[in-house]
Amino acid sequence: MDVPEDLRYSREHEWVRITDGVATVGITDFAQESLGDVVYVGLPTVGTAVRAADSVCEIESTKSVSEIYAPVSGTVQAVNERLVESPELVNRDPYGDGWIMQIALAEDPGLDALLDAAGYRALVE
Amino acid sequence: MTRRSPLDARHRALGARMVPFGGWEMPIHYEGVLAEHRACREHAAVFDVSHLGSVECDDPDAFGLLQWLLTNDLGRIGPGRTQYSHLLDPDDAHVVDDVIVWWVADHRFFVMPNASNTDDLVAAMREGVNRVHRAVAFTDVTASRAVLAVQGPKARELLARVSPEAAAVPRRAVRVVGEWIVAGTGYTGEDGVEIHVDAGGAPELWDALVGAGVVPAGLGARDTLRLEAGLPLHGHELGPGITPLQAGLGWVVAWGKGDFRGRAALERERERGVARRLTGLSLEGRQPARDGAPVLRGGEPVGVVTSGNFSPVLGHAIALAFVPPDVVAGDRLEVDVRGRRLPATVVEPPFVRR
Repeated sequence: MDVPEDLRYSREHEWVRITDGVATVGITDFAQESLGDVVYVGLPTVGTAVRAADSVCEIESTKSVSEIYAPVSGTVQAVNERLVESPELVNRDPYGDGWIMQIALAEDPGLDALLDAAGYRALVE
Repeated sequence: MTRRSPLDARHRALGARMVPFGGWEMPIHYEGVLAEHRACREHAAVFDVSHLGSVECDDPDAFGLLQWLLTNDLGRIGPGRTQYSHLLDPDDAHVVDDVIVWWVADHRFFVMPNASNTDDLVAAMREGVNRVHRAVAFTDVTASRAVLAVQGPKARELLARVSPEAAAVPRRAVRVVGEWIVAGTGYTGEDGVEIHVDAGGAPELWDALVGAGVVPAGLGARDTLRLEAGLPLHGHELGPGITPLQAGLGWVVAWGKGDFRGRAALERERERGVARRLTGLSLEGRQPARDGAPVLRGGEPVGVVTSGNFSPVLGHAIALAFVPPDVVAGDRLEVDVRGRRLPATVVEPPFVRR
């Protein structure tokens, strides 16, 4: 199971990469492995204000439907439109081409609640 | 207690994800549902379906017992053939179980129920023995064997490298091949066979099939395959409150053969007409509409989805659903998926025709 050192993680199995006040968000390798083949990602609407721990969209595999939670507070600034036609990118490259959304961080984004790689590894192993 | 297949160690060695199913722990997938689905549609796949029950009935009165117990007419077939049939509830004619009967030899039959219905089938057989027949011998042999389903366009070609005789068993036929019993049956919409093998011999057969290039596939792909083929799954399209007529399986009921369990109740429904019927829904997008999702017509709830998923072959979502009997193919309906209304077109299954 892949847990990159340079990312932060939520307890709901999202990863976060923060660059210049913007959080890129996806689901972890552990999460995609647990879900199985992803067949649909219901992307959120750009411009939506989200609060950390809110449910923001749904992801479905051949087996089940799961919620994706905002790992940070802010405003959805971009979504990965490639997932509409190719949701399997979430399985194939969860930390790269399988990213789900970008959130412009709010003033108090709630980063303290996130785990580092070691903390997340301890959660799932 | 959770039951395990004779192939349990093989599944774990292949890294399968194991899940509880009908009292058993079985593989849901190895590499992934979509890859296994494709392997079965384009190549050949092997499924461990040992969780299905096997009730052996070897008795001169077996034919009479099964004719009374089940809806279909064994008089239409003969030894060496298989037949799909239903066991009905005597009071409301709901489908207690759907089974395949393997008529192996003169008075030797195997009845193959769904995993979790094996005890119900055995109880009904006992009741049948008590009521209309004397001392018909039957045995639940589920624990002593494995059943492997080898399915797909290349299934027979690859199986022939292991056993040419097994690979030559025609569609819907059943033959004794050495220590195995082989039937030309399946649940994927593809050609292939199912092999009943002693528990001790199962790992060797599994290894030979995998060695010949047959791809191991789990219950996840089995479900998406049977959905594309429009085949019912007990607990979804069949079960309490659902009769064969509602499920669109009137052909399974042999009205001409005399009395059978549940006949009177089913006749009443036939006379008054069904209140709903099973049909197929083709959705535009990829998002699955799963069992329990309401079906709407003109904004009003009129039915319910019984099974739904993404169709790997078609590239969009499909579903089976109960709808009012006046709904016809081509009608435009909607499915309510957690508040989102997804447009759906009525189509008669199968969704994928081979």
